[in-house]
Amino acid sequence: MKLRGPILRLVLPAALAVLWAAAPALAGRSDDDCLTCHGDTGLKTELGRSLFVDRAGFAASIHGSTGIACVDCHTDLKKFTDFPHSAKLEPVDCASCHDAAAAAIHESIHGRPHAGAAPITVRCKDCHGTHDIRPAKDAQSHTSPMNIPDTCLSCHLERVRTTLGPGYAGRYKQSVHFRALSKAGLSFSATCLSCHGGHSVQPMGDPQSKVSRRNIIPTCGTCHAGIERDYLEGVHGKDYVKGSQDVPVCTDCHNEHDIQSPEDLDSGVYATKVAAVCARCHDDESLARQYGLLTSRLKTFSASYHGTASKFGEIKVANCSSCHGHHGIRPSSDPLSSINAANLAATCGTCHPGAGKNFSKGRIHVVSEKTENRWAYTVKIIYIVIIGGLISVFLAFIAADLYRRMRIR
Amino acid sequence: MKELNGNGLIRNDEVFLRMNLAERVQHILLIVSFSVLVVTGLPLMFYELRILKSIFSFEKAFYYRGVLHRVAAIVLIVDMVWHSGYTILTRRGRDNFREMVPRLKDALDAVSLFGYNVGLSRWLYRKGILRAFFERYPFWKFENPPEYGRYNFVEKLEYLSVAWGSFIMILSGFFMWNVGLSLKMFPLWVHDIFVIVHGYEAMLAFLAIIIWHMYNVHLNPEVFPMSKIWINGKITGHELKTLHSLEYRKILAERQKAHGAGGAGTGLNPAQAP
Repeated sequence: MKLRGPILRLVLPAALAVLWAAAPALAGRSDDDCLTCHGDTGLKTELGRSLFVDRAGFAASIHGSTGIACVDCHTDLKKFTDFPHSAKLEPVDCASCHDAAAAAIHESIHGRPHAGAAPITVRCKDCHGTHDIRPAKDAQSHTSPMNIPDTCLSCHLERVRTTLGPGYAGRYKQSVHFRALSKAGLSFSATCLSCHGGHSVQPMGDPQSKVSRRNIIPTCGTCHAGIERDYLEGVHGKDYVKGSQDVPVCTDCHNEHDIQSPEDLDSGVYATKVAAVCARCHDDESLARQYGLLTSRLKTFSASYHGTASKFGEIKVANCSSCHGHHGIRPSSDPLSSINAANLAATCGTCHPGAGKNFSKGRIHVVSEKTENRWAYTVKIIYIVIIGGLISVFLAFIAADLYRRMRIR
Repeated sequence: MKELNGNGLIRNDEVFLRMNLAERVQHILLIVSFSVLVVTGLPLMFYELRILKSIFSFEKAFYYRGVLHRVAAIVLIVDMVWHSGYTILTRRGRDNFREMVPRLKDALDAVSLFGYNVGLSRWLYRKGILRAFFERYPFWKFENPPEYGRYNFVEKLEYLSVAWGSFIMILSGFFMWNVGLSLKMFPLWVHDIFVIVHGYEAMLAFLAIIIWHMYNVHLNPEVFPMSKIWINGKITGHELKTLHSLEYRKILAERQKAHGAGGAGTGLNPAQAP
């Protein structure tokens, strides 16, 4: 393809110039001849489908501007001698020139018959358009980054029902990626194509898919290279590389289509929601047993001031990631970990200026105070006994007082 | 029980001053600061309750909760400092405090009141059960309700609980407010104890007030719907006679002495209202 483009642009006009010179002899198959009829906006089939071809639009298209004529794509027109031709034309076969793209499509989900009662066949023109095809780098192209979301959503918003349900793809429009594209006009922001691929698009469950569990890290890492590096150095990334199916990948925490900036209230990793995200795995009994993790992480965090304040919407207090980090989380035994005893003063110091050694003399969100902080546990038990005892005595006195008054009356 | 008689020296409708203006203002400041502290603080103990989430619904709600809590804490501290100064520096304050000191009698009063209210001993005595024991130790018969002085055991317990509780809450709260300072002085596990103490002491104080104090000054049929002493500071001769009979006797004795000495009248008692 890449080689062919320039060649086409040189060779075809030359060839066409020759053809055009010989046109009268070829009995009226020039574009002008076609547009004599098809330039009429009112031209329709018996079923009412428009047969109008916009001359200016075609002339501005990649094909029109390089001099490719109507009959070069609608090759069966060459068979006709009488015009206007009446019979329905054969579908255009793009593969006659674009064979590499056609082969890629053939291997993709778009090229395979789908399961279901009414399998949808995706054709080139469904994405690229027909007479108005422009190269992707042209802002007016159906496949330019700015227009790709609408192009894909023309089917994926309603017609296509994937396992994730209708409208799932449409959530992309709520994402930070789409906002960057539409509001900030950043054409390099992620579109459908960036994550799913173009011609070679595969469903998520397919290991070959760019968004499969195996490939999602490098796919996101294409743009977020620094985060990919941090992730792979962290405890999650190290197990991911080993093939663990249980460690979270990007989309497990950040969501997929409706991915938001962490500063956005709707984000799953907004400061007050981080704990719930982490707790999905870190409060899971079976995962804890399998990997030897501590449980009750959310419960013990919620009981702390950080957790309680966070629950009530305070964003300044520490959440999981404030202390543990996020992409490159390391276990406390790792000297580079933010919660390694040697680094706690610095980690806590980000919020508590001048935090010293004392910050590491004690345990944070412990499962059992009985074993982790004996004094605190003792104090708690004493209080529970005192409260229970005193309140019982109070109630007994009140009951006795009321009893006497009832008896006297 | 023998009816006390003022002998014309203390009329039933005579008004005595039980709480002066300073004491009443101290009490009101305590009510206000305590209530605000409870409302803005206790939710942290019950972080799992859904209803609290709807109270702290608007943005910054939690931030304002913290601000309010600290403002109320300052009010409480000022109140405590004022009351301490008042207790040490004024004659009335010292006299009150002397009356407030817990004695063995208070423990006996508590037992005695409970026994009197239940009335089991009297019933046993009438039935002739353990008669010898009751003859020998008449206290355990609980024949009459205990007689109280200026402050009964209930009031002493409440007062000393507030004093002790405020001290604990202000101390632990101070270190929770100044986490940096706290952790400069103590290891983290000690700071954790401050947090636990602050929460549980608050629970204790809240329950004690809502159950014990509310019953004694509001719901108790004797004062229902409310004892008004905290508003006007006044107690009548009749109330004094029934509720604080020992103080009544003391005043009566003083007046009888003054009457006998020179018959100068009733104006000598410092506790009397102007």
